[in-house]
Amino acid sequence: MLEIQKLSVSVEENRILDNLDLSIGSGEVHAIMGPNGSGKSTIAHTLAGNPNYNVDSGKALFNGNDLFELDPSERSLEGLFLAFQYPIELPGVSNASYLKQILNVHRKHDGKDPIDAAEFLKILKEKSNRLNIPMEMHSRFVNTGFSGGEKKKNEVLQMDFLNPSLVIMDETDSGLDVDALRQTSEAVNQLRSNDRSFVIITHYLRLLEYIEPDYVHVFQDGKIVESGDKKLAHKIDKEGYAA
Amino acid sequence: MSKLNRKIDLQDCFIKINENNSVIQNESNRLDCKILEENGTININIEVLESDIAPRINLKVLRDSYINLSIEITLLEKAKLEILDESEYSKGSEIKINSKLEQNSSFELYRLNRFNQSTENKYYHKCELSKNCVFKDFNFTNGSKEMFNETIVSLAEERAEYVGSGVVITNSTNCNNILKINHIAPSAISDCSFKAVSRGDASVAFNGKIFVDENCSNTVSNQISKGLIMNNESRIDLIPKLEINNDDVVCSHGAASGKPDENVLFYLTSRGISREDAEKIYIQGFLSEFINKIDNVQMQAKAKQFISQNS
Repeated sequence: MLEIQKLSVSVEENRILDNLDLSIGSGEVHAIMGPNGSGKSTIAHTLAGNPNYNVDSGKALFNGNDLFELDPSERSLEGLFLAFQYPIELPGVSNASYLKQILNVHRKHDGKDPIDAAEFLKILKEKSNRLNIPMEMHSRFVNTGFSGGEKKKNEVLQMDFLNPSLVIMDETDSGLDVDALRQTSEAVNQLRSNDRSFVIITHYLRLLEYIEPDYVHVFQDGKIVESGDKKLAHKIDKEGYAA
Repeated sequence: MSKLNRKIDLQDCFIKINENNSVIQNESNRLDCKILEENGTININIEVLESDIAPRINLKVLRDSYINLSIEITLLEKAKLEILDESEYSKGSEIKINSKLEQNSSFELYRLNRFNQSTENKYYHKCELSKNCVFKDFNFTNGSKEMFNETIVSLAEERAEYVGSGVVITNSTNCNNILKINHIAPSAISDCSFKAVSRGDASVAFNGKIFVDENCSNTVSNQISKGLIMNNESRIDLIPKLEINNDDVVCSHGAASGKPDENVLFYLTSRGISREDAEKIYIQGFLSEFINKIDNVQMQAKAKQFISQNS
């Protein structure tokens, strides 16, 4: 599904990722761990097309297409979804209206008619219930005044709406209390399938106890320095990165 | 008030300035409206009587030539009035309004004008408010080649209140906006907001002045102006001024302009929304706080539609 080859990325002329290689197959869940500043969020934003991240060299093939030839909206329409570490506030636009807009953009891309109001409301209720999101939240402006947990749940809700084939979760567990972490993880687990892959960026074992990864990679200085299965996450939790 | 009168008061007044004539269809017994066209100027005189429910005047200019319009408005004691102008002024316009609000009257003016971009348009409004009067003034425009808007409000007696909001969303305009609020009586309130969105090679200016006379204790006055500059070629100049001659006042002013936050645009595009549509959503968000200032539900919907169509 995703093939990253010798990828080097810089931000304001500082090299963050250095000749990174990573291969993600269909239905696989990859966890990325690593100390602060090791390039975890950089890989997330680079793949999603954030213009602040400059691709110096290398390739990323997503379902055979050169990802870097696509703009951010095209990447989303092709099935890539980034759950932001710091979801952006959008004052003046209600969450319900925003969710309907992003859903309709994807429906249009798939050759479907815009969703009608009644069907949208039904789906919104169903998906919100799964994440324990009160319907009242959707009349508020997107992420504006939301708690940290509400913002992260809203990211997962958007993921659920857009039905992506590759999900990158950038520290979705940060800011979540124990119950919210469990609810969010359960919702993510329900979205796991053979044709949907996940890249989960996290500092903590706890999330990976709920969403069990197939592979764990440790980032350091913009490279993968160690890969393994979930036992590697346990080892890091016990010994830290310095060991 | 009898049931019958209430029903009649709900009826509107339509003023249509057609290609060859001007027509008034007045269904309200609470206002008197006359039109006289002479020397190329259309003069409209409006007098409004006391009423519980505001009659609405719908002004529609359909003439395909430059329009000179002069409107005299008098609201008698305890009168209420709404005016809605959705004209497009296809060949340009010069509009002069003089309005006088007698005690305890209230006036709501909604201008939602989509101008022909190649025209020149001028607008002057002088409004004098007496004791306990309220004037709510909402002006939404897409601008035009040359545009001049001047509103001068005189809060002439105590407890008069002015609420004004101006929105300009424009691609190609030289748009100069002047708003002067004169507090010349104590215990009056003014709350003014102006927002502009510039695109193309537009140049928008806002000069907002609040004057508080020395006898005007207990004045409350706020003015805020914000600009959203969508590209490198357009510009917005915001110039807020305060002249306060009394210490017993609560006055504030603020101005800020800048480009859209790229992080927000990236967030939207990362969800599949095109850059162009992301900018439209951003503009709608930027302007939405004005929508919420309109408490008339029908006018709120019209303003929302206007912003959506012009973003």
